[in-house]
Amino acid sequence: MNRSPDATAPVPLLQVEAVSCRFGGLLALDRVSLELEEGEIFGLIGPNGAGKTTLFNVISGLTTPSGGRCLWRGVPTTGLGASGLNRLGIARTFQNLRLFESLTVRENVLVGLHHAARAPLLGALLGNGAFRRHQGRLEARAMELLTLLELAALAEQRAGDLPYGDRRRLEIARALATAPQLLLLDEPAAGMNPAEKDDLRQLIGRIRDHFALTVLIIEHHVPLMMRLCDRLAVLNFGQRIALGSPAEVRTDPRVIEAYLGGQGQARGEGR
Amino acid sequence: MDAALLEQMLLGALLALSVYLPLGCGQLSLATPGFYAVGGYVAALLSTGVAAFVGSGATSPLWALLAEMVLGGMLAGLIALAIGGPVLRLRGIYLAIATIALVEILRVLNLNLPFTGGAMGIFGIPQPFAHAEGYVLFTLALLALACWLCQRLEALRLGRAMAAIRDDELAAASVGIDTPRTKLIAFVASAVLAGVTGALAAHFLNSWNARAGSFDASITTLAFVVFGGSRFWLGPVIGGLALTALPELLRPVGDLRLILFGAVILLGPLFFPQGLVTAERLRALGALLGRGRHRSRQAPQAP
Repeated sequence: MNRSPDATAPVPLLQVEAVSCRFGGLLALDRVSLELEEGEIFGLIGPNGAGKTTLFNVISGLTTPSGGRCLWRGVPTTGLGASGLNRLGIARTFQNLRLFESLTVRENVLVGLHHAARAPLLGALLGNGAFRRHQGRLEARAMELLTLLELAALAEQRAGDLPYGDRRRLEIARALATAPQLLLLDEPAAGMNPAEKDDLRQLIGRIRDHFALTVLIIEHHVPLMMRLCDRLAVLNFGQRIALGSPAEVRTDPRVIEAYLGGQGQARGEGR
Repeated sequence: MDAALLEQMLLGALLALSVYLPLGCGQLSLATPGFYAVGGYVAALLSTGVAAFVGSGATSPLWALLAEMVLGGMLAGLIALAIGGPVLRLRGIYLAIATIALVEILRVLNLNLPFTGGAMGIFGIPQPFAHAEGYVLFTLALLALACWLCQRLEALRLGRAMAAIRDDELAAASVGIDTPRTKLIAFVASAVLAGVTGALAAHFLNSWNARAGSFDASITTLAFVVFGGSRFWLGPVIGGLALTALPELLRPVGDLRLILFGAVILLGPLFFPQGLVTAERLRALGALLGRGRHRSRQAPQAP
């Protein structure tokens, strides 16, 4: 094991160590390092194309980094793949929404409960009492999650027929169904109006407390992030240019320069 | 309708289910006829060789048929297991092409192996049933079992995982589903079903040769599923039954029959792009029968 010998310093939940990601001539991530502590809400902000989603893809195992690595509770996650990382305790939502559209809302959450759904095959085929009780518990769990995300009334709707905001919350419900310890949210407030954004902010806080989660969140809406996050990192052109509390990040001159376009300066000055 | 045609229709329905299984998790595999041929050769070789000693030579006991079906299914399943890993990395049309190649490889092997009887194939396969009616009842039982398994699959986590992969493979992986393993299970199950069907068909047809598993058969079995619909097991079953019967029922019109058959295959998807059996029609049927059988897949109540 790779545990720190110093017992007083807890091992971070997730360490991103000098991760680089190159797509052809584009360096999407350039030696980015982060550490997530258990229980915090950590925000990732930066202009479009800064590499935020790429970093999410690396952390959740959808993209193999060209350099660097991630450690989960001190253990390297290299080569685990998306499903392996989910089983470790990392769940995510997608910027462009990837629901199982032909399934119902309830079934989407049931798919998320895949690993809780393991049952003896013969009993399952015959649908015996033990299997039906097991199934009943799964259904109850699914409804619990749907209720928490205010989707219970829509349980039998086809996911593909849902309006936008409901889809976003269904993706969160599906991710939560996998019983994660770390939840990655990729632009969960995209396309929402201010009232919905405020609801979402409260919801994320509630979820964090309810499930004792660590949350890593990408969001463009800076005021929302300032209020929601315990810490923030700022990416620009694949590099981490700032890291700290919202107050620290807000006043960081590099952030103002990069993210807000540099007050009073010419835009598009290059990197 | 004579029993021989009915038997062919039932075999067609079984093959359609074999195509449906991988398609149920989004994998367009055309390998079914290849595995069908393998199963048939297993039955033909065993019953004309080894099992000729246990029967009279012209007949074979029922247990021998069952044993051949198990072995035929197992050999087909083992081949699928061996090639599934690399082949299932391919997606969509590329997987289709790779599985067509597999069917061709098996066909050429069957033509040229020293023990498969070359182009003539294997003749005089002993009969477990005296009449075609016996085959019909037996095949009907097998089809009912296959349908029941497909229906149960919907309630199982394996079935949900397959549906999830069909809708979005990446998202399925992100909720912890082992997508390569799930796809492999569906592929192997498809091969086993085709192998079992082939073993039965070899007896019924009395002779077996490499034409059983050809590219033509790949397309025909795919047409069963496209015609019937690929979302519920009932679709391929109806497609398999109907499209097997059609060329025979059209026999009175002579040479026109293949043209008419082609027209049906062409017009079917044009007017029923989802196939004959869709969620909506099943729901309407369920309402008609006054039962909520397929409730789980549908969205009846508006909020």
